[in-house]
Amino acid sequence: MSARNLGTELDLSWISKIQVNQPAVLRRAEQIQARRVVKKEWQAAWLLKAVTFIDLTTLSGDDTSSNVQRLCYKAKYPIREDLLKALNVHDKGLTTAAVCVYPARVCDAVKALKAAGSTIPVASVATGFPAGQTHLKTRLEEIRLAVEDGATEIDVVINRTLVLTGQWEGSDFIKTSTGKETVNATFPVAIVMLRAIRDFFWKTGNKIGFKPAGGIRSAKDSLAWLSLIKEELGDEWLTPELFRIGASTLLSDIERQIYHHVTGRYAAYHDLPMS
Amino acid sequence: MRIGVIGLILSPTFSFLEMMWRICPALAVGCTVVVLVPPGSPTPLLLAQLAGELGSFPGILNMINGPASLGPILASQPGVQKVTFCGAVEEGRVLRRTLAGQGAELGLALGAESLLVLTEAADVDSAVEGVVDAAWSDRSAGGLRLLIQESVWDETMRRLRERMARLRGGRGLDGAVDMGARGAAAHDLAQRYVREAQSQGAQVFQAGDVPSVSPFFPPTLVSDLPPASPCTQAEVPWPVVVASPFRTAKEALAVANGTPRGGSASVWSERPGQALELGYGLRVGTVWINAHGLRHPEVPIGGCKESGSSWHGGPDGLYEYLRPSGTPARLPSLSENLNYDTFGLAVPLTLPSGPEIGPSPAAPYGLFIGGRFQAPGARSSRCIQDSKGNLHAYVAEGGAKDIRGAVEAAHQAAPGWVTRPPGARASLLWALASALERREPALASALERHGVELKTAKVEVELSVRRLRAWGARAQAQGHVLQVAELRGPVLRLREPLGVLAIVCPDEWPLLAFASLLAAALAHGNTVVLVPSGVCPIPALEVCQDMATLLPAGLVNVVTGDRDHLTRCLALHQDVQALWYFGSAQGSQFVEWASAGNLKPVWVNRGHPRAWDQEAQGAGPELGLRAARTKALWLPMGD
Repeated sequence: MSARNLGTELDLSWISKIQVNQPAVLRRAEQIQARRVVKKEWQAAWLLKAVTFIDLTTLSGDDTSSNVQRLCYKAKYPIREDLLKALNVHDKGLTTAAVCVYPARVCDAVKALKAAGSTIPVASVATGFPAGQTHLKTRLEEIRLAVEDGATEIDVVINRTLVLTGQWEGSDFIKTSTGKETVNATFPVAIVMLRAIRDFFWKTGNKIGFKPAGGIRSAKDSLAWLSLIKEELGDEWLTPELFRIGASTLLSDIERQIYHHVTGRYAAYHDLPMS
Repeated sequence: MRIGVIGLILSPTFSFLEMMWRICPALAVGCTVVVLVPPGSPTPLLLAQLAGELGSFPGILNMINGPASLGPILASQPGVQKVTFCGAVEEGRVLRRTLAGQGAELGLALGAESLLVLTEAADVDSAVEGVVDAAWSDRSAGGLRLLIQESVWDETMRRLRERMARLRGGRGLDGAVDMGARGAAAHDLAQRYVREAQSQGAQVFQAGDVPSVSPFFPPTLVSDLPPASPCTQAEVPWPVVVASPFRTAKEALAVANGTPRGGSASVWSERPGQALELGYGLRVGTVWINAHGLRHPEVPIGGCKESGSSWHGGPDGLYEYLRPSGTPARLPSLSENLNYDTFGLAVPLTLPSGPEIGPSPAAPYGLFIGGRFQAPGARSSRCIQDSKGNLHAYVAEGGAKDIRGAVEAAHQAAPGWVTRPPGARASLLWALASALERREPALASALERHGVELKTAKVEVELSVRRLRAWGARAQAQGHVLQVAELRGPVLRLREPLGVLAIVCPDEWPLLAFASLLAAALAHGNTVVLVPSGVCPIPALEVCQDMATLLPAGLVNVVTGDRDHLTRCLALHQDVQALWYFGSAQGSQFVEWASAGNLKPVWVNRGHPRAWDQEAQGAGPELGLRAARTKALWLPMGD
């Protein structure tokens, strides 16, 4: 995490002056996906960089210690060793940014990562994920317990009731949504959020991080996200301290693209280790 | 029906898309095309080869590779009905002058600069993206004049600079670049402009990852350019953006309309009322609200003022290549050696040939300017003789000063007339028609004295009344809504008045032509400066007496005098928006030549009389098309 956001006085006049023109934002979103196309070894390099931003996530009702363990192993070795050797990056210590699980599974995750000898942080969703409609007392207790178990990052679900009635809270990162909605991380929404992050930085000097989550499945998409961050915020934000991608199947697609780049052939799903 | 053979002249910096925009509609309505291609461009020849391979009809699409001097030769070929040109303003002017008097009509689409108005109520980040689309991408036509409201100046400039730093330039085919290069000539033009601006005291900011060798030129932002410097009047080249501040929306309109450019503009404001007011007020051919550079084949693209008056796309694009059925094809005219410097300069004396016999005529008619009759500046009159050679009346000898006064009066009346609702215009035209009806005996007898049979004279008056009523009925709010695919939201095709329209009436059908032309012009919201028939101006002057009481002052101004001299004054006047000339072939040629001054659209008859009594020629849709100009107003929707 970068330096904590110490927060500022809530100044609603900042918000009331903001104007957002939806058709124009939609046009920009379409443009982003087309304008910065990278190929060949540059594409491979960007894909490897994208891996370092992934919060490898499993948020299913039937999570148990075994699939969490498999996930943690995949987080430590996201790309098959021989592919990394072929690209000569096997010694760079390439891992995902974090592992993201339900609070009850934090223990398992920490144990698995320790066994694998990894320092990847464990992130936990908390505060009544995904709806956030539980009592404040239990929500705070959830966070405390998750941190006790070893989680170093918490994805907080904001109280939408408070939002809709105009009572705001501050944070270090902003996330597009829980990832469990019908429409999650889309480019138009992201553009507006990134502009807000940049404006906040210009006004206060605080850098807030950004995490799109939900619906990012293809490697091509992930590259579009990276170029979006680079265009709107700049290279400073292209670090795991300020940018995360919440995803689960994305990693397999990236791995398949790397496989294709190295071997020239398209892999079957069983050619690559499961996550 | 289709016109016939179209000649297309391409400028040295033409783009393939512009060429196709002109060839395709022409072929689609059934015209055949001859294209004059500047030397050294292989792409159009490849197109011609592909067309040839289709093999069904030889001769539909022809390409000639040659220098620009072949242009007049192409235009003077018998059978070429229209010549189209798109390119730089100065080249268009030269072409207008050299093609004056040729048989072909000339359509010009000039200049590439656009305008962006950024108000304080705008989504500034999106407007900055609009600037990128407008000036710093391969899709942009030319440079950009950027007007920023003072209150958001600092934050806009900051965002612009940040955005420029992220732009990338390089070879056009590289997938990850924003802008390529447009040749050494474009590079030199931009560099000259930037150096000029710097020497005149402007701040220049350049950024972006662009190779520093010619022909690549980095995105450039020029600010603090003094309003009085020559660079503010010159066209802004690609990829330069010239930014200037404004305080209120009213000032923005004044600054925006204060250049000879009339191409395209965008307005950025989240307040719909303000956005529409600016959109309607800008004198350009295309306005985008909260967007820039959107194009679609169904929407007409064109301009006004020095951007030329030719259109492509949409219904207007097709009308360029059509003429009303029932009108004759343009016949080649004799291009004599007309001396443009002396045509109409001096007013020949019109002394009566013999002693005046007969009863003393009424007091001389004055000029009808600003709603009342007044004496001409030269304080002299000319005598009008009837068909028997007897003195009919004296009319004023109008001169340059009177034309100037008339045009000024017309401009003063214009704002009021434009804002009147169509219903008010209609009722005025109807009132004028009724007044004409009441004057029928006097008008018929005036016409009779000039050799018209009484029966025909009565018919002429009756037709004139009917024409006024018909145009009155047609004076509805012009324009309609286009539904463009892939766009959420309407595009309005508005029909706006040209402004001050100068009309030189023909000698045939003196009353009917006068009434037909006047009615069409007024119904579309124009104000008029009119020169009635030189041989028989009395009916028009009689009607003026009714206009004095019925119409607002300055709406219609009638100036009598030597036709050639008055035509010269009107054609050279920079503030007349259009000129309709129905006189001699020589006069037509002069009008076309002189219109190059402010590139006003002209309509000439090349000396051929027109059958004003027939519907197609006297009251057809052609008059309606020529009496107004189109504006495309894009309104993307969404919240």
